Amino acid sequence: MGLRPKIGDFFIILIVAATAVILLFSLRQADTEEKIALIIQDGVVLEKIRLDTLEHTEILEYSGEYPGVIEAEKGRIRFKEATCPDKVCVGTGWISKNGQIAVCLPDKILIKITGIGSSEDDTDIWLY
Amino acid sequence: MENMKKIALNGLLISLALVLSYMESLFPTSLIIPIPGIKLGLANIVTMFALFYLGFVSALTVSVLRCLLASLMFGGFSSLLFSLSGAFLALIAMQVLKLGHGKLFSLLGISIGGAAAHNTGQIIMASLMMRNTAIFAYLPVLLLAGIVMGLLTAVVAQNLFCLVDKTHVVNRLG
Repeated sequence: MGLRPKIGDFFIILIVAATAVILLFSLRQADTEEKIALIIQDGVVLEKIRLDTLEHTEILEYSGEYPGVIEAEKGRIRFKEATCPDKVCVGTGWISKNGQIAVCLPDKILIKITGIGSSEDDTDIWLY
Repeated sequence: MENMKKIALNGLLISLALVLSYMESLFPTSLIIPIPGIKLGLANIVTMFALFYLGFVSALTVSVLRCLLASLMFGGFSSLLFSLSGAFLALIAMQVLKLGHGKLFSLLGISIGGAAAHNTGQIIMASLMMRNTAIFAYLPVLLLAGIVMGLLTAVVAQNLFCLVDKTHVVNRLG
């Protein structure tokens, strides 16, 4: 009746866990003093916000199938409100570290925090 | 097996998988781990049953129809693409691992391999849809959660298989 693990089972667990750990470390970004939040919808950078020098709260409304509101403060950013059915984006809460993301899949919108000088830091539009 | 019995069993499995999908949608996994697409994967028990007792085509039919019906009833079009790509990759992985069942792998490895393939398929589809690879940042957590959930579904599936084997209503393939 019981489950008798075979040798291959341990290999599968090992491979999956190792892949997870390797991905975790290779995707990790060193935290920098300067922080930029990129708001990307459908692969296009909608907005670029310098988070570390932000003086006041920034409110950003986005459109799409399910419109919502993004809120940025000094050093952090979040999906404040959303009309999508699952609201996973709002549930993610504030993100503040380099490499962290918040995603609203139904609207194909993504917030990503990155340091200055990263590969995606190539636009000239700045929002302070 | 007679055709009628097989059709009836397939229908039964689709509705069973649908009920499990619905139960999952009531259990707010994403409130505990706020990652889009994270779920328990209970419907995979049904897919594994179909794969071991009725064959690959049946398992494919059950999981594709379950995804279609689940997204019609309690999801959107976007969730359909994620679940379809995940379910398809998971089924391929489990079919391949099944070749070594009993010798190299038990249900444990097959189930965890399927879960990992499911998560990978979902993330690939998500990054294609969002036209951005940043979403891969979620894959490590999904993979680790997949090990735990794959283990639990394997335990349930093993007990289910043993019970079904005693009834001789349907016999295991191979």
